[in-house]
Amino acid sequence: MKHVIFTFTLAIAIAILLMIPGHISAADKYQEMINCDLHAGPCTQSLSETTVTLEVTPRPVKALQNLSFKVTLSGNQVISTKAPYIDLGMPGMNMGPNRVQLKSAGGNSYAGQGVIVKCPSGRRTWQATVTIPGAGQTEFIFDVIY
Amino acid sequence: MLSTETLFLLYLSTGFTIGFGHCIGMCGPIVVSFSLNLKEKSILIPQLLYHLGRIGTYIILGGVVAAAGSLTIITANIDTIQKGVMIFTGALIMILGLALAGWVPLGRVFGDHSSPVGFISKGFGKLVRQQSTLVYLPMGLLLGLLPCGPVYTALLGAARAGMEAGSTHRGVLTGMGLMAAFGLGTVPALFLVAKLADMGWLKSRTIIYKIGAVLMIIVGFIFIIKAIRY
Repeated sequence: MKHVIFTFTLAIAIAILLMIPGHISAADKYQEMINCDLHAGPCTQSLSETTVTLEVTPRPVKALQNLSFKVTLSGNQVISTKAPYIDLGMPGMNMGPNRVQLKSAGGNSYAGQGVIVKCPSGRRTWQATVTIPGAGQTEFIFDVIY
Repeated sequence: MLSTETLFLLYLSTGFTIGFGHCIGMCGPIVVSFSLNLKEKSILIPQLLYHLGRIGTYIILGGVVAAAGSLTIITANIDTIQKGVMIFTGALIMILGLALAGWVPLGRVFGDHSSPVGFISKGFGKLVRQQSTLVYLPMGLLLGLLPCGPVYTALLGAARAGMEAGSTHRGVLTGMGLMAAFGLGTVPALFLVAKLADMGWLKSRTIIYKIGAVLMIIVGFIFIIKAIRY
């Protein structure tokens, strides 16, 4: 019985030791990639001569909630007949295809609905890749509340 | 909008790639635990039954989200259940680890002739007394409820496809079919991992089983911690 308790305690201790640095380094690695605070408001990225602004509401941005995505283009835009779209995913982890189709919302704005899913690993860094047909892609990396 | 056939193929291939890229890391410990506990017994039928159960749950969820036309309504209602399932899975893996090493008098928990002693083992005994590998089917059905990012993503698509199907009946069938295709796609990766963990061919397995048991206890503990933080 003593042997069982000893091994069991040892296993738990090893688990804790393994988990803590792993969680910290993984969290740090992906949190360092964050280039946008969507909880605070819209974010802007450059794509050659076009400026791409992404806004997600309601704020703060939470997982497993219906969200509105709005992309606004400004600058020297590439004229395209196709609307931009957003692919949602996690940096370094394949979460399956999750595309938000955008429709014209007047002017140079496009809007659509989507859901950011929840990862049981606990990682909260997500990535929205905005594709503008004919112009290319730009990435917004941000924190999501679970 | 993609045709239904294209969608099915897309879901099947997504399941396949997700299986190798995601499921191995997240759900691999579960199938490995089952494999190790089966010891020299064949893993084929138990693993297939487990996956059948898991896919069965995906199919039900696919039908439900397609009928509701929304993933968020469903997840808001099953959040607590999923947390419970995750804790249960962690505890199960830990108990399987303890049983594998012979530190808990359960013998081989699944599909073997054990003489249950104590209240915990009696509970499991009731589950296994059928002396049948069929126990892996309800286990798969239950563990199919485990929270999983790619499953959520697949369900999102199933809900969308359900809404665009034209009628509720057709939408539900589409949602169920898509989740079946996704689930089937994930099987090869998990089956391969289970097969790699199948140590039945080894002559001297005692040390391997002891190491496996300790790893299972660790993984089970991590599952429980993740569930609490989920």
